[in-house]
Amino acid sequence: MPPADTEQRSRLGFSLGPDQISFEVDESVYSLEAIYGACYLFLEKCFVYLSRSKPAVVDVRLTARESATAAQLDALAGEFGNELIAQVSRLRLSQATARIRDYYTAAALRAAASSPSVDDLLAELESEELLEDPLEIMVPWEEKHGAKANERDPKNDPE
Amino acid sequence: MGERISFHQSLYLREAVDAAAAAYREHARIEVTAAEDTVVVEISDVVEHDPKTVANAFCNHALHETIARRREAPPEEDA
Repeated sequence: MPPADTEQRSRLGFSLGPDQISFEVDESVYSLEAIYGACYLFLEKCFVYLSRSKPAVVDVRLTARESATAAQLDALAGEFGNELIAQVSRLRLSQATARIRDYYTAAALRAAASSPSVDDLLAELESEELLEDPLEIMVPWEEKHGAKANERDPKNDPE
Repeated sequence: MGERISFHQSLYLREAVDAAAAAYREHARIEVTAAEDTVVVEISDVVEHDPKTVANAFCNHALHETIARRREAPPEEDA
């Protein structure tokens, strides 16, 4: 939608009309999904209309709900542009992490499906060798070190 | 003379435009016709409201319906 010479341009270079601002969005940069995402958020703020004057380009027209100045319209369009970038980033991140999300979901489901019952856990607990004590934690200190301590203490020396 | 709006079918779902037309029939006379790549909506005899505002609101409704329906639809398989 190339602007006519008489068409008014906003500070950011968008086309201005009565209470409305228009601009082109290149679909090779911003996917239609991202454009829809940004539009969805702007439906409450203003009136949004999409059209296509040439392939792979979406013409976006934002119309203010109330009377708006050129600066307000410019801000609206600028905000829309920022939202487009956010939407593209979100989509790319979502695509980039799709496999790892699938993996974690599958792992969680697998773990949930094979989680042991309380009876299984009790049986496992009973079968454990609880008396194994390789670090001798259960051995009393006196028993473990008492003999050595007695050797060193002269008072305990019988002579 | 009413408001005439063209909805490109690559951007708006036909059923979304039809849903918007059904929703706005109590406010105006709505005629929907399909052309090659577009669905053309003619809004006339607007009751109680500003015709421009009704046309703009109609566009929002059609876009909202399109986005909602596309999100509900299962993702398309990549070729």
